[in-house]
Amino acid sequence: MKNTTLKNIKLGAFVTVGIALFIVAIYLIGNEKNMFGDTFELNALFGNVNGLQSGNNVRFSGINVGTVEEVIITNDSTIEVRMIIESDVRKYIKKDAIASIGSDGLMGNMLVNISPGNGNRPPVENNDYILSYSRIKTDDILNTLSMTNENAALLVSDLLKITQNINEGKGTFGALLVDTVLTAALRQTILQLNNAAYNTEQISDNLIKTTEKLNEDEGLLGALIGDRGLTKKLDTIMENLTNTSDYLTATSSKLETFIDHLEDGEGVVSMVVHDTVFVNDLKQTVANINEGSARFNENMEALKHNFLFRRYFKRQAKKQNKKFK
Amino acid sequence: MTETGEISRFAARFFKEVFKPPYEFRELLRQSYEIGWNSLPLVGLTGFIMGLVLTLQTRPTLVEFGAESWMPSMVGIAIIREIGPVITALICAGRVGSSIGAELGSMKVTEQIDAMEVSGTNPFKYLVITRVVAATLMLPLLVIMADAVALFGSYLVENLKGAVSFELYFSQVFEFLNFGDVIPSITKSFFFGFAIGLIGCYKGYFSKKGTEGVGKAANTAVVVTSVLVFILDFIAVLVADIFYEL
Repeated sequence: MKNTTLKNIKLGAFVTVGIALFIVAIYLIGNEKNMFGDTFELNALFGNVNGLQSGNNVRFSGINVGTVEEVIITNDSTIEVRMIIESDVRKYIKKDAIASIGSDGLMGNMLVNISPGNGNRPPVENNDYILSYSRIKTDDILNTLSMTNENAALLVSDLLKITQNINEGKGTFGALLVDTVLTAALRQTILQLNNAAYNTEQISDNLIKTTEKLNEDEGLLGALIGDRGLTKKLDTIMENLTNTSDYLTATSSKLETFIDHLEDGEGVVSMVVHDTVFVNDLKQTVANINEGSARFNENMEALKHNFLFRRYFKRQAKKQNKKFK
Repeated sequence: MTETGEISRFAARFFKEVFKPPYEFRELLRQSYEIGWNSLPLVGLTGFIMGLVLTLQTRPTLVEFGAESWMPSMVGIAIIREIGPVITALICAGRVGSSIGAELGSMKVTEQIDAMEVSGTNPFKYLVITRVVAATLMLPLLVIMADAVALFGSYLVENLKGAVSFELYFSQVFEFLNFGDVIPSITKSFFFGFAIGLIGCYKGYFSKKGTEGVGKAANTAVVVTSVLVFILDFIAVLVADIFYEL
C-alpha cells in the first residue's frame, strides 16, 4: 500500500512537471507572439512586402516589440500589413513613424522595421496607419553589386598594369623599387635629412637656452631688453649722435661751398691751387728771401766783429749767460 | 492486410469499451507509473545525448557559415518538431511495446487471461485499456521531458563552446517556435503512445501458444510499432501542414 502511494506520488510529480513544462513552453511561445500582454493594432500599406508572413517580428528601432498579425492584399498595388504591438511601446511610436520591410540578417526571416518619427507628433492610436517605404529589392542590390564588380575588375586590371610597370622599374615608383643607385641616393638624402633634423634640434635647444637667458636679463641683449636705465642712456647717446650728425651735415655743406669756391678760382688759396705762374713766382720769391736771409746773417756776423758794435754784442752775451745761471 | 484488419477491430473494441464503466483507475495508475516514470531515465538520457550530439554535429557547419546564432532556434525546432517525439516514441516502442507484448503474451500463454474471463473480470478492460490509455497519456509527457532535457543538453554544448547565456539561448529557442511546432508535436505523441500501447497489447493478447509465441509477440510488437511510428509521423506532418500552413 505504502509502495503504491509512493509510486502514485512519483507519477503525480512526473505528470505535474510534464504539464508544467508544456504550459511554460506555450506561455513563452505565446509571449513571443504577444498573445498574453496588453497590445494594440497598427497598420501600414506597402507596395511590396518581400515575402513577409504573419508571425514575423516587428521591430521598433531594432527592438522586437510585436508581430505581424496579417498580410492582406487590398488592391492590385497595395498590401496592408496589420501588426500587433506591445502597448508599452505605443507612446514612443509617433504618428509620423515609418514602417519598412527588412530582413533579419542576410538569410534571415523578413520583418517590419518601424523607425521613430519626429518627437513633436502625438503617439499613434490603436488601428492607426503609419507611413511606409518599400525596401530595395534583392535584384536591385544584385544589379548594383554587378556594376560594382565590373568597376572592381577594371580597377584590378589598372592595378595590374601599374604593378607590372613598377616591377619593370618604370616611373618614379618603379625606379624607387628597382634602381639601386637611386635607393642609395635616397638613403644618403635621408641620412642628411636626419643630420639636418639633429642640427635643427640642436639649434632649437640653443635658441631655447638663449631665450631663457634673455628672459633672465643675462648678457648685453638681455640687459638691453630688461634694464630700463641702460635704455635711457642709450636714448641719450642716440640723441647726441643725432645732433652730431646734424652738425656734421652742416659742416659738410659749408665744406662743399668752400670747395665750390676753390674750384671756381676765387680767393688766394684758389689762385695757389690753380695759377701755376703765380706758384712759380712765389717759389722764386721764397728762394730770393732765403738767399737774402743768408746774406743778412753774414752781414750780422760781420757786424759782430766790427769794432763799433763788438762791445754791444759781448754785453748781450754776458746777459744771456747770467740768465741761464 | 489481415493483420491490419484485426488491429483495426482491436482498436474499435478499445474505443467501444474505453468509456464504459467500470474504470480500472488503480491499474491505470500502475501502468502509467510503469510506462511513464520508469521510462523517464532512459528517455531522459536519450534526449540529453540527442541534444548534445545534434548541437555538436551541426555547430561546425553553422560556424563555417557564420550562422552560429541560429543554433538555438535550429536545434529547438528540430528537437521539438521531430527528434523529440520520434526518438521518444522509438525508445518507448522498444521498452514499453516489448514489455506489454511479452507480459500479455505470457499471460495468454499461461492462460491467465482465460482465467480472468472465467472469474468474471473483463481482461480487455483490465489489461488492454489501462495499458493503451496509460501509454497514450504518458508518451506526450515523456516527449515534453525529452524535449526539455535535449534542449538543456544542447544549451550545455552551446554554452561551453560559444559562451551563450541560459536566458539568451532559451529566448532564441522560443523566438522561432510557433504553436504550429509544439501543438502538432504533442498531438502526434498521443497517437504514438496509442500506437505503442495498442500494438503491444494486440500482439500480446493474440500471441500464439508456447514460449516462442511470447518472444515473437514482443519482437513483432516492437517492429510493427516502430514502423507505425514513422508512418504516423509522416501523416502527422501532412496534417500539420494543412492546419498550420508550415
